[in-house]
Amino acid sequence: MLNGKIIGRVLGILLILEGICMLTIIPVSLYYAEGDFLPVVISTFITLAVGVLMSQLFRDHNSTIGKREGYLIVTGSWLIFSLFGSLPFTIGNAIPSYTDAFFETISGFTTTGASILTDPESMSHGLLYWRSMTQWLGGMGIIVLSLAILPILKIGSMQLFSAEVPGPTPDKLHPKIRETAKRLWLIYLGFTLTEALLLKLGGMSFFDAICHSFTTMATGGYSTKTASIAAFNTPYIHYVITVFMVIAGTNFSLAYFGLHGRFRKIFTNEEFLFYISLLLAFIIGVTAVLYFSQGHPLEESFRNAAFQVVSIVTTTGYATSDYCSWGPFLILVIFILMFTGGSAGSTGGGIKMVRLLLLAKNSRQELSRLIHPNAVIPVRLNHKVVPQNMLYNVLAFIVFYFLITGISAMIISAMGYDLASSFSSVAATLGNIGPGLGEVGPTMNYAHFPDFGKWFLSFLMLLGRLELFTVLVLLTRWFYKN
Amino acid sequence: MRIVIAGAGEVGTHLAKMLSNEQHDIVIIDPEESRLKPIDSSLDVMTCLGSATSVNLLKDTLGKKTDLFIAVAHLEDTNITAAILAKRLGAVKTIARIDNREYLEHTTREFFKSMGIDSLIYPELIAAKEVMGLLHETGTTEFMEFSGGMLSLYVQKLEENAPVVNKKLRDVTREHKNTNYRAVAIKRDEETIIPRGDEVFMEGDLVYVVSTREGIQEMMKFSGKENFIAKRIMILGGSRIGKRVAQSLQKECSVKMIEIDADKCEELADELENTLIIHGDGRDANLLLQEGIAQKDVFVAVTGNSETNILACLLANKLGVKKTIAEVENVEYINLAENSGIDTIINKKLSAASRIFRHTTNPNVTQVKCMTGTDAEVLEYRVPEGSKIVKGKLRDINFPKGSIVGGGTRDGIPFIATGDTIIKPNDKVVVFTLPYALEKMSKFFL
Repeated sequence: MLNGKIIGRVLGILLILEGICMLTIIPVSLYYAEGDFLPVVISTFITLAVGVLMSQLFRDHNSTIGKREGYLIVTGSWLIFSLFGSLPFTIGNAIPSYTDAFFETISGFTTTGASILTDPESMSHGLLYWRSMTQWLGGMGIIVLSLAILPILKIGSMQLFSAEVPGPTPDKLHPKIRETAKRLWLIYLGFTLTEALLLKLGGMSFFDAICHSFTTMATGGYSTKTASIAAFNTPYIHYVITVFMVIAGTNFSLAYFGLHGRFRKIFTNEEFLFYISLLLAFIIGVTAVLYFSQGHPLEESFRNAAFQVVSIVTTTGYATSDYCSWGPFLILVIFILMFTGGSAGSTGGGIKMVRLLLLAKNSRQELSRLIHPNAVIPVRLNHKVVPQNMLYNVLAFIVFYFLITGISAMIISAMGYDLASSFSSVAATLGNIGPGLGEVGPTMNYAHFPDFGKWFLSFLMLLGRLELFTVLVLLTRWFYKN
Repeated sequence: MRIVIAGAGEVGTHLAKMLSNEQHDIVIIDPEESRLKPIDSSLDVMTCLGSATSVNLLKDTLGKKTDLFIAVAHLEDTNITAAILAKRLGAVKTIARIDNREYLEHTTREFFKSMGIDSLIYPELIAAKEVMGLLHETGTTEFMEFSGGMLSLYVQKLEENAPVVNKKLRDVTREHKNTNYRAVAIKRDEETIIPRGDEVFMEGDLVYVVSTREGIQEMMKFSGKENFIAKRIMILGGSRIGKRVAQSLQKECSVKMIEIDADKCEELADELENTLIIHGDGRDANLLLQEGIAQKDVFVAVTGNSETNILACLLANKLGVKKTIAEVENVEYINLAENSGIDTIINKKLSAASRIFRHTTNPNVTQVKCMTGTDAEVLEYRVPEGSKIVKGKLRDINFPKGSIVGGGTRDGIPFIATGDTIIKPNDKVVVFTLPYALEKMSKFFL
């Protein structure tokens, strides 16, 4: 049966880790002195205290993390991070309703970036920093972070890793999980610092540069400004962010190979090529429509098209312009792009490039099987045959994804939302994007949803972040049966 | 240490499991996905699908620096080729598993070394040697010699009539004032305990004892067993192990061998002149009775099938055979078989793994043995100058719980360690350790 003690112990330790991350808000609060000091300290204290208590309470566990414990720990850790992560917002009454505070936090950790704040600029700097930080922590993954820095999770780490990073093509960078996790986080940290530096050079304040590089590399999308990236109206900043969004949506293993000079590995990776060609095709298409039929200047059309396409495909969710005013055709294009998602092994959410690629390849093979019924035509990825059960897994994922989208959209529309708003709010939360269309468009927010709607969308965000199966398996009967 | 293992068969998987628990980076290569999958989901190692003789794949997996390349695939040819390739591609040390005894001869070894294979390993031969060792030490369950036989580790099963049953360790030592042997560990049910003074011996315990030559007789008495001379031996299964055992014993003892495959019987009869080969199924009780199993001293079951071996040994036990030895390759069955009354379990995976394991630990380790039925290990160290172990009396130096120094030899004279013993540089010492303490313990010998 389930090993409850080890679950309690690991979750306790993870809470301590969250508490330590919260400690970094304190200097920011002190520096800006906007009255959020006390709530931050109290929340940090509560988080640390509960963490220490839990980890001490379940001290003598027998340390076996099986498959079930793995799934429960991973899902549980994201929930518990959101529960305690929302304390700084709710204790000082910065966000009065707890539902809203929880929504904002889980939207942060899952790197969705769907906000209930009508005016982020009215928040204190300390809280804005924490809001960006939640995305940064969630981007590479809470478990991956703890595997990298906590020696305690030695046993069963494989279970945890594969439950949090369930993508179809696992790439271990090193024989040991812990070393793999370390390398991933170092690359992540490196990119974040580089971007922050470049943004600072482009004229952003130090605070904004850090916060935005946090949320770019996590493909999160929280901005410190109400107008999102449109508030920084210099092309340089837009281009820098676009480039880093593309990087964040790429498999981080490839970045590792790149840093080791193994460029062949990058340019022969089919998923990467597919990702880049898809981005280029849509950027050119959208630029053309904006330039020819809507008469925007060429550079501006290209810049906005590139920014918006990349932002949606990588599931970041920043905005430099309101795509809802781009006319029905482009709105539909944007909506469809919401289902793509970043590459496997990136910080992006959604269906993910590799799954779409495998789906496309498999469908093409099906057609040729019609002509040659007896032919053996395997699906290949990077010149290797993809095993049948992986294909089934991909197909099941995509079917589940659309099924969940459909049913959830019905639930949302039952709350009185129109077709575009209900479908896009589901697509934007399940895909961890953030802004959708209509009433949840880039200039709008999620504040107007009823409480039930907010909890429901929060659930979708978690479902999307952990790629469906890790959460869904907890809802099955088999999970609890021996 | 970066270690690449070619072949995710039984030996390879077991090695990966053992080594990944310590601070090693393991890559394991196999062409069968079905064999890699369970490893991938349970061990912290990197798996790599493909052929171990592919140069490109080897280049990738060996990376910048690989300290040890272990080829333990099913086929000997694959192993030899893979090891040679790996050496040329930069592996520091290579080991290949073989199944040809010819290769182990002294001159051939040199020849292999010049080709790039540093060490050859033949698991069946090691297992056969183990069986033969046990046939001399018939009163014990498992044993191993250190320092050329001056010190040995015996594993004794406590029978009902053993005089120490229900007594505290402290009282036993008080009664028998001796310095020739010492109990270092007890295995009870599934658990291995490093005993303290107030530990009580119980019936069915497996007691691990380090003893000098002088202590053997007395130590045997203490467990209620006695060495007897094995004269009549029945071997079930004409496997490589069975054949080796028969070959070396057929002159001095009467050996009968039962083999199920008719063609193989012919072959065996040809090779084993002084052994009586019987064609039949070892699970057939009547056959065993007919062939006089009840009068045998030792029954050795080494067919390729663990279940057959266990059942046949249980039957032999019941019919009054003094000692039964079964080859059990399913690690899960080992405890079960041990508890059900079979005297000794041998496992060629563990034996082979012990040999290979030695290459991965620090250079002061001179011998390693992984015990069957428990995950404990026994290591023999040559104590280097200035290491932590020589800093004082054993009880004062904070030697980790879960490890225990059993004894050693100094200038060729064996001694048994107690809390008051002070280890000196250049001693050879035998340490019994549970896996969790291994890392801490080995720091004492650096």
